[in-house]
Amino acid sequence: MAKSTSTPIYDDQGRELIVKVEGLQKYFGKNHVLKGIDLEVFKGEVVVLIGPSGSGKSTFLRCLNFLEDPTTGEIGIGGVHVTCGSHGGQFKKDVHQIRMKCGMVFQEFNLFPHMDAIENVIEGPVLVKGEKKAAAITKAQALLTKVGLAERMDFFPSQLSGGQKQRVAIARAMAMDPVLMLFDEPTSALDPELIGEVLKVMKDLAAQGMTMIVVSHEMGFSRDVADRVVYMDDGYFIEQGPPSEVFFHPQDDRTKRFLRHILPEKEPQQAAALGILEVGQELPDPDAAPLQGPIGAALNEDNMADTAIPRIPLSGGPMGETPLPPGDENL
Amino acid sequence: MHRRAGFASIGLFAALLALVLTALSPVALATGEASPAPAAAAPAGVPIVLGVIPDPSGTRTKWSGDQININLNLNGADLDPAASILTVDGKQIVLSSPASMIELSPGNPTLLMKWDTPTFAKGDFKFDVTLFDTAGQQLQVYDERNGKTAATYSWEFKSEGEATGGSLINFEVMKKWFWYIAAGAIVTVELTVISIAFACLFALFGSLGRLSKKMSFKQAWDRYQSREYMFRMVLGRIPYWLATFYTSLFRGTPLLLQIIVIYQGVPEILKALGLPDTYNPPAFWSGVAALSLNYGAYLTEVFRAGIQAVPKGQNEAAWAIGLSGWQTQRRVVLPQALKIVIPALGNDFIALIKDTSLVSVITVEELLRRAQLAGASSLNNFSTLLVAAAFYWALTIFFSFWQAKLETRMARDKAREKEKGKK
Repeated sequence: MAKSTSTPIYDDQGRELIVKVEGLQKYFGKNHVLKGIDLEVFKGEVVVLIGPSGSGKSTFLRCLNFLEDPTTGEIGIGGVHVTCGSHGGQFKKDVHQIRMKCGMVFQEFNLFPHMDAIENVIEGPVLVKGEKKAAAITKAQALLTKVGLAERMDFFPSQLSGGQKQRVAIARAMAMDPVLMLFDEPTSALDPELIGEVLKVMKDLAAQGMTMIVVSHEMGFSRDVADRVVYMDDGYFIEQGPPSEVFFHPQDDRTKRFLRHILPEKEPQQAAALGILEVGQELPDPDAAPLQGPIGAALNEDNMADTAIPRIPLSGGPMGETPLPPGDENL
Repeated sequence: MHRRAGFASIGLFAALLALVLTALSPVALATGEASPAPAAAAPAGVPIVLGVIPDPSGTRTKWSGDQININLNLNGADLDPAASILTVDGKQIVLSSPASMIELSPGNPTLLMKWDTPTFAKGDFKFDVTLFDTAGQQLQVYDERNGKTAATYSWEFKSEGEATGGSLINFEVMKKWFWYIAAGAIVTVELTVISIAFACLFALFGSLGRLSKKMSFKQAWDRYQSREYMFRMVLGRIPYWLATFYTSLFRGTPLLLQIIVIYQGVPEILKALGLPDTYNPPAFWSGVAALSLNYGAYLTEVFRAGIQAVPKGQNEAAWAIGLSGWQTQRRVVLPQALKIVIPALGNDFIALIKDTSLVSVITVEELLRRAQLAGASSLNNFSTLLVAAAFYWALTIFFSFWQAKLETRMARDKAREKEKGKK
C-alpha cells in the first residue's frame, strides 16, 4: 500500500491539484474517440463538461477512473499517477487507488438491486476499506440523511423513485470519502420533476468544497455551481472558461452552434436572459435550414456563411453585434 | 424480514432436501453400493458360490422352471461359462443358448443357464453344476454354506409349483415389491440432489472460465506490444480453454456413455498408468460423477447466460467503488445471476431426476434398477416398472410444485416491494 500515501501536487501558484490529465487518447478499435486531452482540476473546483452527443464527454469521464482503459496519456488523481496503456501488477494497484479516490454517479444509477439503500452505501467501505460494519452503518446513515433519505434507509432500489435512487447513488459514492466526484449525466434518466432534488444534493456537495467533474446539460446548475465549463467536441476540448465566458462569449463557432441548440431547448428563460432567444419567440426549427442550400450539400463552416439567414435576433444580447452562424443541422 | 424472503425460500428448499437426504442417507448408501464379496477361505483359482436361484434357503417356494442363476466370486479362476454343464436329477439339460455370465456387480458375475421348456414346475429337484476353465479343465467349486470344496456344485430345491407373474397388472406383485422399489426412490433423490449440487459447482467455475476471455490475442498485441503481457495472457486464457473443452466434451457425448466410461474406464485407466487395477469405483459415486459432470456442462451455459444478463452497469458501479473483480462477482453479479438462473436450474433439476435412471446400467440400485430386479424376481416386469414410473412421476410433480412455489414467492416479493414503494 505504499502508493496510497500519495503526495499532493501543487501548481506554481500553490493551489492543490486534484486532477492532472495530460495527452489522454482513447481508441475504440479504429475509432479515435479522445484525441489528446489535457485537464487540470484544482481542489474544490467544479468542472462541467458540455458538448454534443458522441463528442467523448462520457468516455473521458469513464477514462478518469479506468472504467474505460485509455490508450495513451497520463492521469494523476489525488496524487496517484498512472501512465495509460501500461499493464501489470503496479498498474492494477494504481488503478485501484484511483478508483478509491473517485466517486462516480451514473446516468442509470446502477444501484445494487439486491441490497437496500444502506447496504448499497456500506458495500464499498466494508469490502474495500475494511471498515467495521457498525461504523460504516453509522456513516451511511449520516450520508443518507444528508441526501434527504433518512426515511428510506431500508428501502430497496425497486421501492425508490428515480431521484431517490440517484441520491442513494451519490451517498454510495461519497461513502468512500473520495477526493473527486464524477457525475455522468446524473439527471438525464430522470423525470423533469425529479431533477431538482438531485441537483440540490449536487449543489450542497459543491458548497462543501467537493471537487467535481460533471457531464451535464443542466445550464442552470452550470451557471450557479460550475467554476469552469468545458465545451468538448469530436474528442477535443474546444474551449473552456467560467460559465459566464463560455455561455455568454463563446469563442469557437462549434461552441456557439452547440449553445444555440441546447440553450433554447433546455432553458428558454435562460436563453432569453442571455439574449440568444427573445421571450415569447418561437424556438428555432432545426429542420428548416438545409432546404436553403443545394440538395445534398454538406453544411459545414465553409458554406455556412453563404446559405445562412440568421433566424434569431441577437441585438442587445451579450453576444454583441456579431450574428451567430446558423445552427448546424447536421448535428 | 421481507427482503430476505427470496433467498429464504431457496434456503428452505435446500434445507428440506438436505433433511430428506441426511435422514435417509444410511439406508440409501447401504443399498446403493455394491458390496464386494468377502475374501473366502478358498484356495486361489477355485470359484466361490455366493448364492443360487432357485434358492433353497430363501422364502420362495415357486420357480419358473426354465432357468437357474449362480452368483459367483471367480477368485481368480479362468472360467469358461459356455462350457458349464447343468444336470437336474441326474439328467443333463440342453440349454437354449450356451451358459453366459452377467456382471451384475463388479467381481461378482452371475452365471445364467436357460432352457426352453419349463418342465420342472412342481416337485423336488436336485441340481448339479460342473464348471470348466478356458483350457477345458474341470474346476473345483468352493461352497460358502458348508465351507467345502467339491468337483461339482450341488443343491436341492423343493418347488411347490410354477412361478408366474400373474396378470399383466398384478397388485399383489406391486404391493409385495413396493417398499423394495421405494428404497430405490431414496437413492434416486440422493443421486439427484448430490449431483445437482456438484453440477452447480462445476457450472459456477465453468461459467466464470467461459467468461474470463476479455480480449483477443491480436487486440492485446496491438494494444501492448509486450511479449511478457502475451505470455501472462496465455496463462490467463487457460481457464477459458479448460471450460470450453469441458462443456464441449460433456455436451458432445452421450450421458449413458459417460456413465459407463467413468465406471468401467477407471480401472483400465489405472492399469494403463501402471497402477494396480483392482480399484473398482463405487457405482453410486461413479454415477454422481458422471451426472454432475454432464449437468455441470449444461448448467455452465445456463450460468453464463445468467451472468451476462446482469446489466453491465452493475459491474461498473462495483468497480467504481473499488471492488475487485472477484468481489464484484461474489457480491454483486452472482446474487443477481442466481435469481435469473433459478427457473432454468429448476428445469434441469427435474430433468436430472429422470436421467438418474441411466445409472441403473452400472448397478446402482436406484428406482429403475430395483424395479427391474423386482420384475425379474416376480416375473412381472410390467407391474414393477409401473411402480417405478409412478415414483418418478410423483417425484417430478413434487419438485415441480416446489419450483413453482419458489418462483411465485420471488415474484410476490418483488410485487410487495413495489407496493411498499408507492406509499
